[in-house]
Amino acid sequence: MSLFGGLEISASALTAERLRMDVVAENLANAQTTRGADGQPYRRKEVVLQERAGSFGASLSAAMNRNSQGGGVEVAGVVEDQTPLKRVYDPGHPDADADGYVAMPNVDTVTEMVDLIGAQRAYEANVTAMQAAKQMFARTLELLR
Amino acid sequence: MLFDTTQLALERAIEGAGKRHEALAANLANANTPGYQRVDVDFHGALASAVSRGEEPREALHALSFSPARDASAGAVRADGSTVDVDSESAKLAANALEHQAAVQVAHARIGILKAAMGTGV
Repeated sequence: MSLFGGLEISASALTAERLRMDVVAENLANAQTTRGADGQPYRRKEVVLQERAGSFGASLSAAMNRNSQGGGVEVAGVVEDQTPLKRVYDPGHPDADADGYVAMPNVDTVTEMVDLIGAQRAYEANVTAMQAAKQMFARTLELLR
Repeated sequence: MLFDTTQLALERAIEGAGKRHEALAANLANANTPGYQRVDVDFHGALASAVSRGEEPREALHALSFSPARDASAGAVRADGSTVDVDSESAKLAANALEHQAAVQVAHARIGILKAAMGTGV
């Protein structure tokens, strides 16, 4: 059924955007972490999104016409941002090097907040799409009354 | 014939709006996917060409299939090449839902007329 496919597509986006918000929260929480899981300073994490079901061209249009399993978005992976770490002069810090500099995480709180707002708005847009699909389905059912 | 060409066209329009909703929902879902090209379903055009086919619009309507196509005319709105503008997709989605509602209401009213003619009450 075509409208259920619409719900599933929007649901995939809700999952992806929620993960983005989770990753932003983790980045903000670790903005000052100089000892990550590997003993190195924390590196900013980033979510890579990709279209679900490969290319829309052939495979998806076939899928959409039949059982509506394609479409939507999926998380390709969570990657570490390889930009250089920030070097802050703080000789008293236990992780300071011989020159007194500490390598701090490459997390920029402003960038994270912007990402958070973007993810939040995208989440809302997809919730609206879901509500529209729900209403369309309910109205189609009214034909039976 | 119980159901005429108009009723059939309305049914296909409801189906087309459903398919178009799926395409627009996929665009919104990929609002943050780098390089994504938006898709759309031109069910208006498909319906119009089927209805305007002089002799047998009925067969043409039955044979219609709505499939999503990449919108090559859309320009990139983001630095990563994505052609999804969330505002315009939301507007299209809302307009499409209203079109769907309109088609359903007209179809419902026409079924009501048939019911009245059959004497079963509306």
